[in-house]
Amino acid sequence: MIEVEALTKRYGSTTAVDGLTFTARPGTVTGFLGPNGAGKSTTMRVVVGLERPTSGSTKVAGQRYADLPAPLHAVGVMLDARSVHPGRTAYKHLLAMAQTHGIGKARVREVIAQTGLESVATRRAGTFSLGMGQRLGIAGALLGDPATLILDEPVNGLDPDGVLWIRRLVRDLAAEGRTVLLSSHLMHELALCADRVVIIGRGRLLADATVHEIVARSERAGAVRVRTTDPEPLARELIATGAQVAPQEGGVLQVRGASVDDVGTVARRCGVTVLELSAESGTLEEAYLQLTGDAVEYRAAGTQGGAR
Amino acid sequence: MTAVAQGPVSERTAHGSPARTAPTGFRVLRAEWTKLTSVRSNAWLALGTVAVAAATAFGLGMFVGPEDGRSGSWVVTSGFVLAQVGFLVLGGLLGTSDYVTGTARSTFTTVPRRLPVLAAQVQVTLVAALTTALAALGASYLATAGARAGDAPALDLAVPGTSRALLGFVLASVAVSLLGVGLGALLRHPAATIVGGVVLILLGDQLLAANPGRVTDTIRAFLPSSGSRLVEDDAALAALDAATLGPRLGEWGGGAVVLAWVVVVLAAAAHRLARHDVR
Repeated sequence: MIEVEALTKRYGSTTAVDGLTFTARPGTVTGFLGPNGAGKSTTMRVVVGLERPTSGSTKVAGQRYADLPAPLHAVGVMLDARSVHPGRTAYKHLLAMAQTHGIGKARVREVIAQTGLESVATRRAGTFSLGMGQRLGIAGALLGDPATLILDEPVNGLDPDGVLWIRRLVRDLAAEGRTVLLSSHLMHELALCADRVVIIGRGRLLADATVHEIVARSERAGAVRVRTTDPEPLARELIATGAQVAPQEGGVLQVRGASVDDVGTVARRCGVTVLELSAESGTLEEAYLQLTGDAVEYRAAGTQGGAR
Repeated sequence: MTAVAQGPVSERTAHGSPARTAPTGFRVLRAEWTKLTSVRSNAWLALGTVAVAAATAFGLGMFVGPEDGRSGSWVVTSGFVLAQVGFLVLGGLLGTSDYVTGTARSTFTTVPRRLPVLAAQVQVTLVAALTTALAALGASYLATAGARAGDAPALDLAVPGTSRALLGFVLASVAVSLLGVGLGALLRHPAATIVGGVVLILLGDQLLAANPGRVTDTIRAFLPSSGSRLVEDDAALAALDAATLGPRLGEWGGGAVVLAWVVVVLAAAAHRLARHDVR
């Protein structure tokens, strides 16, 4: 269980996190989503006690992180893959972490095996690829067999194999009743493995809901897409029945306020040939872009909505 | 990178759950020792420091004659003037490496109380510097054996202050390393630590010595460079005290000054660590 309450963090005049409140519950994967610079990493660093909140509070397992008697056993943390001395081997890095809690070498070898690092465990971390660094970070997070995991961008730099592995790993960890908080700026990644999504932009909470609820908020959700040989008469007829119609390219109409059945019936009535008829569902990506549209800190000129 | 762990996660938790144990001072110390010994450059740096001490002593020993007024202990410990930079860098790198490499994030999330980590880093630095200093003293003794058998004065423990000077070499070296780890933990930046440290232990004294006077000599006496007085025997100390216009520090005064610096710098580092963010 991770509780963030009215958290604000300022650096001088810059407000990185602004009154953020959310809870990550046991047995679920909570996705933490936001554009670059939204305050995800700052929030995570405050949660694990590296930085002090300007105001507000954060708790893990009901306690302030710094008050946890055995942090490694309570919370597994991976903040940045590059948190290892490049001259130290993966094994020694994990061993030093384990020794602070009196965890034995057997457990260190176990997490090395679990993260698929056996063949490189005695290599210096400076020679690691980004993906191997990520695995090493995750190995460190798993070391104490914690009930809560905080992973900052764990999918970054992983090959497709590794991405699948992470998805299964976090699903399995949550299925065992653990709390998993997983940040990403890639919404489709979270759509695949998160139960709940907390979306922030410019340090503020934009949404905190299940993936389904967020997808349902997408503009496209609930609309009907119909492609015909003759869109104009169909559009007129549909508007006459009270639906809203947005014509699109290639003879496609996007219809709101009418079901697939309604549109089919209307089409038959006005004698147009239907080539394609389907109910549209939004995607998390669209919902996310709509939510964060105003809150993106850095954007190339002229790309607004370009990803839709 | 295609090796993916197979088998369900639950299998691991079934037989792999480690006992729930909390960090203790001793455990953190063991971890810091592992961190020190697992980075090869630390060993090379210690070895290099020993070599510099011995080589400097060897080189200076070749040119010392009986008429120079130097003692046998000076011949053995003369490498300190350069070796102290090695000790400073050793401590400085140990104090900054976590911050430079980002390891600080995993170090301080693992031990969020933080101060035990600094205490452990000071202890491992002390052990590493002590070992290096003893090796450097031994190597310098061997490297100057030829010179001392020739023109240079012999090492005679009956000369007042000789054994104190030999012990002082070790103490002053350890003190410089501790100053390095303290500056490193305070500044978190190796270049700033080493430059600042070199000014404090070497350059500041040299610059002020160019302008002898009551004020400059007083400042010199209270710089950590006074620690180098520990490597002098009685006659050399008497000559230093006779020449200064500032306070006369006597046999152990220089040691007390450098120790005070170590304590103050470490206290400042502890304050920064305990009260401020770790990035």
